[in-house]
Amino acid sequence: MNAPVSLSPIHDALLARNPLSADWSVMPPAVLGFDGDDAQRAAVVGIADLSHLPRAGAKGPGAAGWLAALGLPVPQQPNSWTTLTDGGLIARLGLTEFLVDGDASITDTLMQAGRAAGVYPVLRQDASFALCGARVNELLLQTCNVDFRTLDAEPSKLILTSMAGVGVTILYTRTSMLPCHRLWCDGTYGLYLWDTLVGIAEELGGGCIGLNALR
Amino acid sequence: MKIMTCPVNGPRPVSEFFYWGEIRPMPDPDTCSDDEWADYVFNRNGAPGVKKEWWCHSTSNTWFIVERDTEKDMVLRTYLYGEAA
Repeated sequence: MNAPVSLSPIHDALLARNPLSADWSVMPPAVLGFDGDDAQRAAVVGIADLSHLPRAGAKGPGAAGWLAALGLPVPQQPNSWTTLTDGGLIARLGLTEFLVDGDASITDTLMQAGRAAGVYPVLRQDASFALCGARVNELLLQTCNVDFRTLDAEPSKLILTSMAGVGVTILYTRTSMLPCHRLWCDGTYGLYLWDTLVGIAEELGGGCIGLNALR
Repeated sequence: MKIMTCPVNGPRPVSEFFYWGEIRPMPDPDTCSDDEWADYVFNRNGAPGVKKEWWCHSTSNTWFIVERDTEKDMVLRTYLYGEAA
């Protein structure tokens, strides 16, 4: 077996839980299932690591025009997002910064495209999680100062806030997977945030889940 | 909990923000006197009143201007640089 060239920021924490199955074909490797109870935990509060998904970032006054010229559907409102055709998403963070996540063909295109004036690449080495389940709002209320139930009414909105003291980007998605909150944070805070969220989720009757429980 | 309104992200607890000091117009170093320059570099006005200040929403790195009454500890207005006056 070839050694992976990149790892999730929480790779060691995932392996410490002895996952039942993992996909070593993606970089970083992704956990597909921890044990036979993933689905039960996902129904209460489940947390999955999605750090393996490809992502790219760009910012600057010319970023919106540059992305539009590459054929991407650029969200017009600050702090909003939209889906891409192959299941990924593009998010507008604030006024002039963008995050593209989940579609390798598009992120590769962005990484290789020539930069235009006023476009600056953003290195995205985030830890990325998905939160799902009936009691997920209880977890969010314990860790954030924002009422995320407002996202139900505004599905294209995303929120940049502080979760357990860590700056995060959060949106609520119902597409392609189980309805869940997608979350990104700086990778160096990933282990702390993962341990904190899993601890709270376990108190609520849930816990970490593999990707198969989200599908 | 104190609430401050970020011009981009909306009302948030003040713990998500940090303060970066009063906005103080810089005198032209080529034309001002030494006393004016020294006053700008070394002196700060601590008297309470309505002041314009730099603040940043740390989780989105949004820099903006706050008009704040430091005597009554009230935020009067927040806006992005360039929307001023």
